[in-house]
Amino acid sequence: MKQTTKLLSSLLVSALVASSAFAEIRTWTDTSGRQVTASFIGLDGEDIILKTADGATHKFALTRLSPEDQALAKSMKPSEEPVMLANATVAQASAAVDRLVANGLVRANPARLKMNPPKAPIKSFNPMANDEQFVRRVYLDIVGRIPNYSETMQFVQDTNPNKRAKLIDMLLDSPGYNSNTYNYFAEMLRVKDRLEQDNLRGVPYINWMQHQIEKNVTWDKMVFEMLTAKGKMWQDGAAGYLLRDAGMPLDNLANTLAVFLGTDVACAQCHDHPFSDWTQHQFYEMASFFGATTTRMTAAANRKKGKDSSGMMAMNAMQDLMPKIEEIVTKSGGDIKRLRNGIRNYMGANNAIVGDMDTNSMKLPHDYKYPDAKPNDPVEPQFITWSKNDKNLPAYKQKMKSAEELRPAFAKWVTDPTNPRFAMAIANRMWKRAFGQGISEPVTNIDDPKQSVNPELLIHLAQEMVRVKFDIKAFMRIIYNTRAYQSEATSEKIAMGEPYYFQGPLLRRMSAEQAWDSYMTLVLGDPDKYAKPLEDLYSRSIDLDLSNPKLDAQTVLVKYDAFRKMAEKERALMGGGLAEAGGDDMMMDSGKAKGKGKAEAKPAGDMMENASLTYNGMVLRRAATLEQPAPNGHFLIDFGQSPRALIDGSVKTGSVPQVLMMMNGKAQQMLTSPDSLIFRTMEKVKSPPEKVEALFVSVLNRRPTLAEKDIAKRALSGGDDGYANMIWALINTREFIFVQ
Amino acid sequence: MKSAFNKLNPIARRDFMMRTAQAALGVTVMPSLNLAAAGTTGAGTPGFGKAKNVIFLWMGGGMTHIDTWDPKDGPTKGPTDPIKVNAGSGNMDRLGGTMEKMAKVANKFSIIRSMSSKTGVHDQGTYVMKTGYEPRGTIVHPCIGAWASHFLGRIKGPTLPDSVVVNSGNAFPGAGFFPTTMSPIPISNPESGLQNIKPTTSDEQFKKRLSLTDEFDTSFRKKFQSDDVKSYSEFYDETVKLMKSEDLKAFDLSKEPEALRAKYGRNNFGQGALLARRLVQAGVRFVEVQSGGWDMHNTIETALGTTAATMDNVFATLIEDLISNGLFESTMIVMGSEFGRTPDINENDGRDHYPLAYSTVFAGGGVKGGFVYGSTDKEGRRVADKQCTPQDFQATIGHAMGLPVDEVVMSPSNRPFTVGDKGVPVTDIFA
Repeated sequence: MKQTTKLLSSLLVSALVASSAFAEIRTWTDTSGRQVTASFIGLDGEDIILKTADGATHKFALTRLSPEDQALAKSMKPSEEPVMLANATVAQASAAVDRLVANGLVRANPARLKMNPPKAPIKSFNPMANDEQFVRRVYLDIVGRIPNYSETMQFVQDTNPNKRAKLIDMLLDSPGYNSNTYNYFAEMLRVKDRLEQDNLRGVPYINWMQHQIEKNVTWDKMVFEMLTAKGKMWQDGAAGYLLRDAGMPLDNLANTLAVFLGTDVACAQCHDHPFSDWTQHQFYEMASFFGATTTRMTAAANRKKGKDSSGMMAMNAMQDLMPKIEEIVTKSGGDIKRLRNGIRNYMGANNAIVGDMDTNSMKLPHDYKYPDAKPNDPVEPQFITWSKNDKNLPAYKQKMKSAEELRPAFAKWVTDPTNPRFAMAIANRMWKRAFGQGISEPVTNIDDPKQSVNPELLIHLAQEMVRVKFDIKAFMRIIYNTRAYQSEATSEKIAMGEPYYFQGPLLRRMSAEQAWDSYMTLVLGDPDKYAKPLEDLYSRSIDLDLSNPKLDAQTVLVKYDAFRKMAEKERALMGGGLAEAGGDDMMMDSGKAKGKGKAEAKPAGDMMENASLTYNGMVLRRAATLEQPAPNGHFLIDFGQSPRALIDGSVKTGSVPQVLMMMNGKAQQMLTSPDSLIFRTMEKVKSPPEKVEALFVSVLNRRPTLAEKDIAKRALSGGDDGYANMIWALINTREFIFVQ
Repeated sequence: MKSAFNKLNPIARRDFMMRTAQAALGVTVMPSLNLAAAGTTGAGTPGFGKAKNVIFLWMGGGMTHIDTWDPKDGPTKGPTDPIKVNAGSGNMDRLGGTMEKMAKVANKFSIIRSMSSKTGVHDQGTYVMKTGYEPRGTIVHPCIGAWASHFLGRIKGPTLPDSVVVNSGNAFPGAGFFPTTMSPIPISNPESGLQNIKPTTSDEQFKKRLSLTDEFDTSFRKKFQSDDVKSYSEFYDETVKLMKSEDLKAFDLSKEPEALRAKYGRNNFGQGALLARRLVQAGVRFVEVQSGGWDMHNTIETALGTTAATMDNVFATLIEDLISNGLFESTMIVMGSEFGRTPDINENDGRDHYPLAYSTVFAGGGVKGGFVYGSTDKEGRRVADKQCTPQDFQATIGHAMGLPVDEVVMSPSNRPFTVGDKGVPVTDIFA
């Protein structure tokens, strides 16, 4: 092990000097004729180190190889890639990343000189961020909120030299990590509470995803589940991934490739891709993996003509029962016009199911116009490749003889460590989370990694992702411990589209969720103490077995009634509609319990356990536990939360409504009201200067400068509103909404 | 001063010069000044220019062309029978059966029936129809309202926005690579207008708070002089001016007679269109009103019900209202959607996404009445005549507004762009 460490550092030094080169993969033979395909990393004393396609490194005695290969190894140049042993420490791993970033910085300078006007050469990383900057950033990045007063002070006063790594570890294992990570994936995957079609809600999918993150299920497993789930969403939450785009399988596929593989083929959906190599035919070959998948029970029935399938039953149930239901409702004096859609939607939601069919029905579109095939031709499934040798990778060896093997084969190919893009796509995204920009942009289209600003870094991070076995938390731990990340934010201007080399993180505006959760911190201290009230009343009440031949109209009505009652209860627990601009109500007569006009925080949903605190109708909880996305007019939406239509669809720019909200909105009133937590924190200290310091530490997580103390003194001399004015002023600074 | 000025990118500099000119002269700067400072390749040809204002009705989800603007007989007809129209001397024959009110005012608008786009995905389709460009990861393209602000200057400056988007929480793609101050203001709900417009304290205290913010924020703004930070400061400045503005009553629907509000329909789209008229009347140049519900994959007959009837009523009412307010000649209404829907009815009795053939509609601002441009084949599957791309569509709007659509503008990253990505305006629809 010691020797390897030495080897590692010597390799890294050589990497600093040499330009980029990638190890060649070849077949090695040992003395007994066994063969392995691997790239040559280097020699270490009497040993040889090889790396196999799955990213694992293997070290063994050189003498075990055939004499020819031994000779060859001795003549070969060692690889310039850093070598990470499977059990490398976080410090080693972070150091290896830093070296590659540093190499990139040096290489950037000729290009910077050629810019107009020329930019000064980068000598090294930005200066180390100070403790105050660091504690604020790392809280925002890991747990999605600013630290509160005592959290800030505790860190700043800690004298342990290892305190940064300690804090990172603590935060990664706290509940805030889960909600913050969920926010990221929910935005990336366009997770919604209310799905466009029927009355289907994404609640079970949302809960599933949050549980996966809580359990730190590895990324490859999560994706595999999403791509292969079967049944209704409340039977398997992961089914929500395909049901999110029910009826749009081609869109879903385009998004799948963009998100999980960083490969944008959306154009090829309708025509050959104009720039890359993808053809429309290839797109349909990929789509063919989903050609035996359906998202509707009745659609399955339509395709399997003449068969007594459960889908057929479901269709009959919808058709047969509705007239009887209408009859019962009318007879009992109900208004069927008001109820009809609700009942249909309720039944329709039970038609939403990820199911498999017997045969692959994928065909080319009727307007296919290229000479290699005819319109409406059936298409055989085939994996796309990014380079010539990809086909030999283990990821491509998938069994797909029968229709039911198609989707699992696709999922295995996507999530295999040797898939040329899977690890790279998520690694590049996670890097962007920490630094504000991907190594390859856009993150949905990596295209050629060698064209990225730092190819060695990108490839290395992909290998690291494989090495940590797609454990996102472990991967982020490495990144947060790098010197590059712990640098001050870059203050030089970076134009749109200008390459960036990661001398430190970019200055980033808080996401909508970070801003909201930070407000919650200012009000509640620790927002994670206020969890979601109840687990998924929706899943418990929505289920109806349409394929049961004994299902009758009366049963549907009874169950529908129970479903509506649950929905009302849930509404009450959520504290009622979140914003005045409520949008469309999906239920006909909702039990809207708006906590209106009361200035003090009070529990919503009287008599119910775990009900949430509200202020003027706003439910005071983490963004991750509110409706996804928030309704129009909510703080989160005005702040740019993604409407969850586009991948990564949030907006980080200002707007007039947003600024109005920051200056005059309810959330601002809440913070400046005398019973807010900031005031209570200030009350713990006596003298005005101490109070000012408490205020600065609470809002900006730093102590005031001398000049600021003077300004504060002046502001406080003007009367009783002094402290409220100061809170207002600090919340409205650019310093507050930007993450340094 | 001078060196700081030169450090600004060309567009910021142009913006700055425009503001200075506005302040000094009280007028919008001449286009020639725009050109010189924006680093463009030369003056473009100014467009038609009769449409001083534009109301863009956005039909989110993919509006079915066959059931609305391009009716067919035979197997692809759909649930309703085509109806006769009052086209005056124009060549418009008939409309889809859901367009009852629009049929009566057919002599007031033109249809382009030969739209064809490349993408059947909502996001990309929306993006290309609103910007004329396919989405790219490296740049955000401006919407037409921002292009207009660039070429024609700001209308009033901070007290009234140039562009507004109604029924949306955000204005994406907004100003694109232009300064974010050119981004439309989003109004989530037309009924509540601009939320939080009143300060919660006395004016005096509000002023005190603002100056305190500036003082506390000085060192941060000095250290981070990025465009992101600067544009935030601009938003604060503009918003404060807006708060004091007389023009605010343009956002207040309660000033409209109850009967007119009812006529538009008490739904977000109807009230949004009414708000658009008020805003145009006050001088706002470009108002997009969003509506949804067109993604009719299932049972199109039911799905069409309220969605099409609402659209029919709102559109016809808006035409009538603009006429009675004397705004129709100077205001162009445009209706667009990300794509059409499949001529074939699918297994769920719905229609799926269909970018190959669809329709857009134009009315007012010098547009011909009762006119149809281009056509699709017998079943509405393919464009038969005069194909029109999203780029042409954007260029047509730009041309109507008087923008030089052939003029190349360089983005801050030094890439060339034009209104509608070199699309060709459909000048035939203008009288």
